[in-house]
Amino acid sequence: MFATNTQDTAQQILQVVGLPTAEVPAKLAALAAVDARYLKDLKINITNALEAATLPKKDAYLLGLAVAVNEKLPTLQAGFEQLALAAGATDKEVAEVVSCTSLMNANNVFYRFRHFVGKEFYTSAPAGIRMSIMANPVVGKEFFELVSLVISALNGCEMCVTSHEDALLKHGTEQQRILDGVRLGAVVRSLGVLL
Amino acid sequence: MKNAVLSVGAQFPEFAKKAVVSIEKGKEFYDISSEEIKASGKWMVMFWWPKDFTFVCPTEIAEFNKHYQDFADRDAILIGASTDTEFVHLAWRKDHDDLRGLQFPMLADTSKSLADELGILEENEKIAYRATFVVDPQGIVRWTSVYDLSVGRNVKEVIRVMDALQTDELCPCNWQKGEATINA
Repeated sequence: MFATNTQDTAQQILQVVGLPTAEVPAKLAALAAVDARYLKDLKINITNALEAATLPKKDAYLLGLAVAVNEKLPTLQAGFEQLALAAGATDKEVAEVVSCTSLMNANNVFYRFRHFVGKEFYTSAPAGIRMSIMANPVVGKEFFELVSLVISALNGCEMCVTSHEDALLKHGTEQQRILDGVRLGAVVRSLGVLL
Repeated sequence: MKNAVLSVGAQFPEFAKKAVVSIEKGKEFYDISSEEIKASGKWMVMFWWPKDFTFVCPTEIAEFNKHYQDFADRDAILIGASTDTEFVHLAWRKDHDDLRGLQFPMLADTSKSLADELGILEENEKIAYRATFVVDPQGIVRWTSVYDLSVGRNVKEVIRVMDALQTDELCPCNWQKGEATINA
């Protein structure tokens, strides 16, 4: 009567992030075949991250989109894009989140180099990287910062993480929202490695 | 009058009751026991309502049903209960659009013995308050909430409680100096 029944969990995960459920990716399918326990954790992690009280649906899906772009997962990107548009995001906002993710991939490498080496020449010479999209973002400065922070956390640049976190606090962002954003990034990436 | 509701840390009472699990002929009833639930190694979420065929109840019960999968994902057996008989449960389930597709058993505490042991019987009518119990795999009550007869519950809160009870940070990253080693 109370036996565990979990064969649908993999499909439910795909559904939550806007992916087609007809074909379950090989790694997910392999887990579903033998080890349902982790899949349940994963599903709960994903749904809880996307439903965090501090992240309106649109924000959550746009952050998911940024992670998908960063992790080079085109199907997941398409899934989150559809979800974000359905939650009220505009094409311009979607494009901006994609752009921001791309820019952060330059900055994360560059500034990480600076703080790794810590020599005056590298720190004082101009960066020489154009960042004009940071000036007047259509998603708003605060959310642009949040995307920047989440991507920096994924890519492991300490200087970027600390400075974007600081910038968010100066915008008046609640620490809980910052934490929820980073958790979403972490958890979506944990799904990404199985796609 | 004084009522003592069974609360956090207490052993959930043993029970063996009839329950309605389907509206399909011949498959309607099932004998549920605390023994079987314990043997399954799962958590149990048991929620009570005062009377079948009343208004607040179906909305609330349908809401629990909507989250049936969320409880299953958290390795919890969901059981609805009232002091009505299994035949009343079945009739109500057949009668109400929102209840036909219920996925969890409706337990019939006809003798009111379980509700009595749980301390959730209302004095005058001897019907159950809207109580919710979260019981861990060892049979220990880990959360109790009791609402008055007319107050509906928030099912998402029950799920939040389950998450909080189950999500131990087992990762050594969270280990702090001076603490004992992590027991998984």
